Amino acid sequence: MNHTMILSWVTFIYFVSFVLYLFRLITGKKFWGRAASFLVWAGLIAQTIALLLRWKTSYSMGIGHVPLANLYESMVFFSWSIVLIYLIIEWRTKNKIFGVFVIPTAFLAMAYASIAPDINNRIEPLIPALQSNWLTSHVVTCFMGYAAFAIAFGCSLIYLLKNKKKGDVEKPEGFSGKLPALATLDTLIYQSTTLGFVFLTIGIMTGSIWAHYAWGSYWSWDPKETWSLITWLIYAIMLHSRYVRGWRGKRMAILAIIGFACVLFTYLGVNYLPGLHSYLRT
Amino acid sequence: MLNNNFLWSFFSSVKLTITLLVLIVLVFIAATFLPSQDVFQTFAGQLSPGTAKIFFFFRLSDLYHSPLFYFLMTLLSLNLIICSINRFPILWRQYKAPHFPEPAGSFDNLPQSLIITEAKEISKIKLIVKSSLKKKYRSGKETDTERGSVFYAERGRFSLFGVYIIHLSILVMIAGAIIGSIFGFTADINIKEGETVNLANLTKGNGIKQLNFSVRCDKFIVEFYEDGTPKTYRSDLSFIKNGKVEKQGSLLVNHPLTFDNFRFYQSSYGAAPESKAIVTYTIAGKKGGSIGVAAGDTFDLPEGKARGFVMRIEENIMEMGPAVKLRIISPEKDIQFWVFQQLDKLLAMKPNLFSEAPMLNPGLFKPFVFSIDGVEHTYYTGLHIVRDPGIPLVALGGLLMIIGLIIVFFMSYQCIWVRIEQQDAKISISITGRSNRNNQQLQNKIDYLCRQIDQELKA
Repeated sequence: MNHTMILSWVTFIYFVSFVLYLFRLITGKKFWGRAASFLVWAGLIAQTIALLLRWKTSYSMGIGHVPLANLYESMVFFSWSIVLIYLIIEWRTKNKIFGVFVIPTAFLAMAYASIAPDINNRIEPLIPALQSNWLTSHVVTCFMGYAAFAIAFGCSLIYLLKNKKKGDVEKPEGFSGKLPALATLDTLIYQSTTLGFVFLTIGIMTGSIWAHYAWGSYWSWDPKETWSLITWLIYAIMLHSRYVRGWRGKRMAILAIIGFACVLFTYLGVNYLPGLHSYLRT
Repeated sequence: MLNNNFLWSFFSSVKLTITLLVLIVLVFIAATFLPSQDVFQTFAGQLSPGTAKIFFFFRLSDLYHSPLFYFLMTLLSLNLIICSINRFPILWRQYKAPHFPEPAGSFDNLPQSLIITEAKEISKIKLIVKSSLKKKYRSGKETDTERGSVFYAERGRFSLFGVYIIHLSILVMIAGAIIGSIFGFTADINIKEGETVNLANLTKGNGIKQLNFSVRCDKFIVEFYEDGTPKTYRSDLSFIKNGKVEKQGSLLVNHPLTFDNFRFYQSSYGAAPESKAIVTYTIAGKKGGSIGVAAGDTFDLPEGKARGFVMRIEENIMEMGPAVKLRIISPEKDIQFWVFQQLDKLLAMKPNLFSEAPMLNPGLFKPFVFSIDGVEHTYYTGLHIVRDPGIPLVALGGLLMIIGLIIVFFMSYQCIWVRIEQQDAKISISITGRSNRNNQQLQNKIDYLCRQIDQELKA
């Protein structure tokens, strides 16, 4: 079985586990939650194996490099990071409900990587600009950050959904009663945002060290650099408004959603603007 | 004075910080969508004169270097500095806060953090409490109050300064960037293979800089993968100072070279306008000689005192492959003709080629017959030269920021008080604490401490 086959199975597995998380949410039966996280673990292991296989394959093709070099590989890694961070949080909080909103992002990333017509999944050789030891640390830290923000985004969606249904009072009954408590969500949004913020900061820094060695300038105002800074500033505003002005709950959720929109634009939208990060275009 | 106070409170407000950050974000968004400097000229032509004026005035094509952006960054820096100064006394008081007595009400309403025991002597209990605290906390202190002995321990007091470290790191980075833009220098040079250059074009057409050393490109190599993707760009360079080669090295993308405080980067390459050809000739069927030439070169032919001029070198003329146009002058003759590399092929297609076009006959100057072994590009390598004295500061800023973030997000200042109180026959041990953030973590720590002391007592 080659890595492409495994990755299409992983896509399918993530979809099925999303459906199982949905069952868990609707029926309230714990069995579905356990089944869903079992599947997600299986998916993560399979995806890890697929990534390692792809890595090995590139070496047997004589153009060996870490599988983080084009849009397709970064998409697969994005989904891998989301699932990894999600499973760690699930394991620590013992809460299997917000998987309903997080696993779909991992599934969508995988589906987009395999279906989108302008993404090719061939293993390509590394152009000179990418032949650097900084490639791995830059991409890994950035995508860990993106993944943490994706989780904050998922939690924010649940928060707004739950908050919309009723005023300020939490009711234990009904559909929204089955969703995690607002306070839990608020903490999760905050914690995953701080995690993402630290990773994004390190990601921007490793990127700028790399740029220093590759382009001769640690900061070139390339659109991707600028947008990563915009994303960083949005989350900085979000954290400041929490620390200094005491913002909580709904406002934080809205900021986390705006922040994630910036993440997506930094990752995908910027590729349509001219700039130095052009190797991500198709 | 009033005016001063107004300015001070204006610059020390967090509302200003957030407003500035939002404005900076908007400037950035605009900057990424507005046409950049290099395409701006064509874009400006389509604008009305008035709009174009506004564009030039605000430097909208290069907002990152516009007065507007500099203004916002200046305000942000002032805001950061003044906020930091303003909040420092409060922070200092927190840092210097006395350990005793504990904050009022600390020991009221403690549900789990309370152990009551009858078994041990009070002096033994004190020892157990002390050693349990010592395991995880620093600077244990003890005092006797009217309600018993109180022990104090703490950790992470320096974490109060985490936010300061982050804010300082931003100022350090801004300072580094300013130093870099004032005292730094970037330039580009193109050097042909074999050529030595000591002039560099400053970036953005800011003139020409004379270097006090020269750079020679000994060789430029570009390699490709099987699928045609570029694999390596490599320039072999020699750095020459006072007529001596002081350093030689291979410059690759991602592997800059440093000489005399300048860093050299492989940034582009291209084919130089002239190509090189290897011209060989036979004399009456016997082997004659071989010369490497470029367009414009001259060469002497043995015997007959003839001189050759290389008039043109073509890599692929009229789809018929590489060719060289020669002019041979001797006292008797002055003739011009073409020498094709793929003459055999041409003759196979048109057997009577020479009678139709005598100029394509490489044997026109008898008894010499010329041929070429190939036409080669000469490349030029494009180097980017940088000197940026601000980099150490920017790097220091980055390091400080990482340290600050780790302190702010993953550490906290925790104070713990333990009171041992004799109540008739019983002794009660109460534990309480304070933290500057993350109270859940503090609660977990207190619970853990409780269990630990409890176990020790039972043992």
